[in-house]
Amino acid sequence: MLLSPGQRILRAVAAWAVVMLFAFPIYYWVTVSIKLDREIFSIPPKVFSFETSAKSYEEVFGISLGFEQGLSVLPGGGDFYMTPRLWDSIVIAVCSTALAIVIATLAAYALSRMRFRGQHHFVFWILSTRMMPPVAVAIPMFFIYRDFGLLDTYHGVILIHALMNMPLAVLLLKSFFDDIPKEIDEAALIDGASRFLVFRKLVLPMAMGGIAATAVLCFIFSWTEFLFVLTLTQTGLKTVPVVSSTFVTSTGTAWGNMAALGTAAILPAFIFILLVQKNLVRGLTLGSVKQ
Amino acid sequence: MASVEYENVGKSFGPVRVMENISFTIADHRFVVLLGPSGCGKTTLLRMTAGLESIAEGEIRIGGERMNQVHPRDRDIAMVFQNYALYPTLKVYDNIAFSLQVRKHSKVEIRKQVEWAAELLNLSPYLDRYPKELSGGQRQRVAMGRALVRHPQVFLFDEPLSNLDAKLRGQMRYEIRRLHDRLQTTTIYVTHDQIEAMTMADDIVVMRDGNIEQIGTPEEIYDRPANCFVADFIGSPSINFLRGEVRGDGGVPAFQSGSVALPLPANNAAAPGQAVICGIRPVDVSVAAEGDVRAEVVLVESTGAESHVLLSVDGQELRAVVQGRYRAKPGEVCALKINPAALHLFDATNEQRIG
Repeated sequence: MLLSPGQRILRAVAAWAVVMLFAFPIYYWVTVSIKLDREIFSIPPKVFSFETSAKSYEEVFGISLGFEQGLSVLPGGGDFYMTPRLWDSIVIAVCSTALAIVIATLAAYALSRMRFRGQHHFVFWILSTRMMPPVAVAIPMFFIYRDFGLLDTYHGVILIHALMNMPLAVLLLKSFFDDIPKEIDEAALIDGASRFLVFRKLVLPMAMGGIAATAVLCFIFSWTEFLFVLTLTQTGLKTVPVVSSTFVTSTGTAWGNMAALGTAAILPAFIFILLVQKNLVRGLTLGSVKQ
Repeated sequence: MASVEYENVGKSFGPVRVMENISFTIADHRFVVLLGPSGCGKTTLLRMTAGLESIAEGEIRIGGERMNQVHPRDRDIAMVFQNYALYPTLKVYDNIAFSLQVRKHSKVEIRKQVEWAAELLNLSPYLDRYPKELSGGQRQRVAMGRALVRHPQVFLFDEPLSNLDAKLRGQMRYEIRRLHDRLQTTTIYVTHDQIEAMTMADDIVVMRDGNIEQIGTPEEIYDRPANCFVADFIGSPSINFLRGEVRGDGGVPAFQSGSVALPLPANNAAAPGQAVICGIRPVDVSVAAEGDVRAEVVLVESTGAESHVLLSVDGQELRAVVQGRYRAKPGEVCALKINPAALHLFDATNEQRIG
């Protein structure tokens, strides 16, 4: 499509406007984390020029950057120190993503390639597990977890996050496997390979793009999940979304600290997505079959 | 190498019956083409032979051994797929070597075999490339190389040339047949292209709607088609059919259709008065100044070396192939000569060959 210079400029302006619209809240959140408390709510808002302070970060990470010393205590009596909570979030997000992907990949391959009685019902059943609002099962889950001793443990939270991600992951991955021609499996089976070898050596490398995309979704879900972490943990561990809420206390809200933790929490997710992104390329099956 | 036997093979997909009582034998070393239109069951039969579809009814034997419960990898067959199905993440070398690698052959042996196959198929310069870096014809050859290195008892080809352009198809046709003459491996080749069948096969199995219509050498199928379907499917341009009846006046049997009367050989098996369909191949119709039949020219198509003339005889369409150029305008009237020895008579009710 040929555009006149005017149209090109208009298009660029529109694109930038949309990007700004989405990026601005993140930018403003970052500025809150480095503002002095008294400037956070100043009217008119200080968007670009303000006095900066690392105090919020120092408190959240329990480090001294040379301005002030020691830990502070929240207005409600809670703890500012959040490094272990970030670590909890990372462990839970990475492990639950890995668990969900390993199981879902195998399940999706089987559903894509093998025929068995009631297969369509089975796929529908998998999907149906996501139809109930999670809050409806939160309380029953609490009792189940208590009885099984899973409350307040890493593996408990990892398990529930993996479980929540599984249906979506299975269905997504199934569609990626469906895109890989069945003839490749058949050719390899005739060539003498076992099902598992076909899966591991031929199909899996071709499905990498889909697996990466699914992993990103699973990771983001676990990274931001609130309800189950809130109900199924007590003191042993807490993830970032849940501890963020503890900054809101009966005597006030520590906005600067909350923003500092939120800003810090963007980074691991960002790094994870960058790492898997290189697999998000299409055309891995190029050259295999003539369409 | 081995023979392949089919005995009462049947198949249904759910409520759909796709194959009924297929029985025939492919002798050792033969090149057999399964020919038929889409949906006739030829690919299903091939996939059952390969073990990719279950053999629900009947029995398939390779080398005398019952294959019904045998895993594809243990049938000692190799298959070339219509869409090649190369392994895109492996280089050409590993694509060809894959079957030997999973069967744990020694590295030296594998290299020897792959190089032999690559040499045979002119793939030696491409062994380090990925499938996506190859042209269609080269990919096709890699798929064949993958089958060759195993020295299987039976080769199975599933419309391997249908994705190639016409020129390449002609060349690969010749190469596959030459390869078979050299290796002598029993081959089953599925196609819907009658030219491929005629040029490559030792035997052709013509199929329709899950049934076998005729089995024979290309010459037998062309010269003595068993029914109207086979006659129509084989030969290009396709055969002409005239509906009429057999007359026996004065002891000389003749085929009569409207104003067209063609003498029949005295030994033909049709009864006088019988309603028949007369098949006449376009090459057996010649346009002449004087002749038995008057016709009107509808259309002339020139292919360069010959001309295909579409004619109208008493309202029935008739095609003739004329060598060289034939210049006539639509609507012109001409005369036809039809070779009486080349007529095929079919019963008008069941369309089966008479005599």
